[in-house]
Amino acid sequence: MATLRFDGLAIGKMPYWRCLAGPVTDAILMHRFANPARFLKIARPLTTWLFWPGLLLLLIGAGCGLFVTPADYLQGQTVRILYIHVPAAWLGMGGWSGIAIAALMQLVWRHPLAAVAGRAIAAPGALFTAICLMTGSIWGRPTWGTWWEWDGRMTSMLVLFFLYLGYIALANASARQGQQGGVSSVTAIFGLVGAVNIPIINRSVVWWNSLHQGPSITLRGSSIDGSLLWPLGLTLLGFSLLFGAIVLMRMRAILAENKVEARMQRLARG
Amino acid sequence: MNQWAFVIAAYAVTLAGTAIVSLTSWRAMRSAERRADQLSDRG
Amino acid sequence: MKAKHQRLILALAALVALVGAGLLAASALKDEAAYFYAPNDVKTKGVEPGKAIRLGGMVVKDSLKRAADGVTIHFDVTDGKATVPATFSGIAPDLFKEGSGVVAEGAFDAKGTFIATNLLAKHDERYMPRELEGMNYNETTHEMKAEK
Repeated sequence: MATLRFDGLAIGKMPYWRCLAGPVTDAILMHRFANPARFLKIARPLTTWLFWPGLLLLLIGAGCGLFVTPADYLQGQTVRILYIHVPAAWLGMGGWSGIAIAALMQLVWRHPLAAVAGRAIAAPGALFTAICLMTGSIWGRPTWGTWWEWDGRMTSMLVLFFLYLGYIALANASARQGQQGGVSSVTAIFGLVGAVNIPIINRSVVWWNSLHQGPSITLRGSSIDGSLLWPLGLTLLGFSLLFGAIVLMRMRAILAENKVEARMQRLARG
Repeated sequence: MNQWAFVIAAYAVTLAGTAIVSLTSWRAMRSAERRADQLSDRG
Repeated sequence: MKAKHQRLILALAALVALVGAGLLAASALKDEAAYFYAPNDVKTKGVEPGKAIRLGGMVVKDSLKRAADGVTIHFDVTDGKATVPATFSGIAPDLFKEGSGVVAEGAFDAKGTFIATNLLAKHDERYMPRELEGMNYNETTHEMKAEK
């Protein structure tokens, strides 16, 4: 019987359900990056290639958002906060989605880099969630007439921030106990469970009467006029690239620390 | 003009936060990788 | 079955259960987590006078009237299905105006008028430059048309 060999995987011999699970569980990506040395070979140049274009896009987008686009008919100049508030919200929620995916990869496939990625995402994710909350508050004061209200969107976003703090505390504790990559199974499960909050944040303004406005950009189109919308694309992409670069830098730092620590332990044992 | 105060505050918070996390991440990476490289030099 | 696949099935089952539980809890919270009552909620559910609530909706056009004392304002709040009268004494936020959203904190009096102690302007999801002001926004096609 002819056997289709695919990246070290014999698909032809497997029962059907494993045919399905095989390519998913053993995706090329996972094997290729399972080896930290091979990951670093790609991560080193990628850090630079994400950081500088990200920063450039971000500065152009923010500059256009500050000085080029017109003021909003109702909010006036404060509409410009949108160009940083929306990417911050996107990264705060995207960051936790990344933590959840990394947790799944750690728990199911025992991928050696998953724990490293999860721990690397936590701090910038928490930071951008905080930026989202703060810029929202600064926008709310002149627009709504209040710095903070306990409506569905704001409360669920604050919960996300506390989830990040909890994850960071758990990850630091497990790193001190010498867990691989610094994320224990408990921490990973916490990251997975916390992901429940992400759809709640997203839907909060639809399910519940909230002070925060409904979604402006939906699959059907945008209720933000084109003349105000375009810098948002630049800042969204810019912040995302920068976030990627920050995560890569933190992953590289953790991998290097692990290497030093492993060597120290070997030396201590003689 | 008062509105600009809010805009500037929001951008300043974002700029400071992004700069701090980028800089600390980069410095942590550089020092950790330097220590790791020194190890491999000594064999 | 490999341990890896057991873990995968276990993790996916747990994830589905968790998300299901979370969404169920969230939908059960539907009424409790609502930030404000819309005029129609007030009408259908009934809110006893004197109970502190938030009332949210649109300020009806041409309903805003300033009382003789100069600080009290009267206006109607609507959600398209029901309309309730409201009154407020104090400084309203800049963005509070007829035809735009408002969230008022306060309580109903015996006659069914909402006595607001605090006003918040609620912004909607539309953003456009000043040149487009006065144009109508079509919610289904997302197009702007000049007001006739």
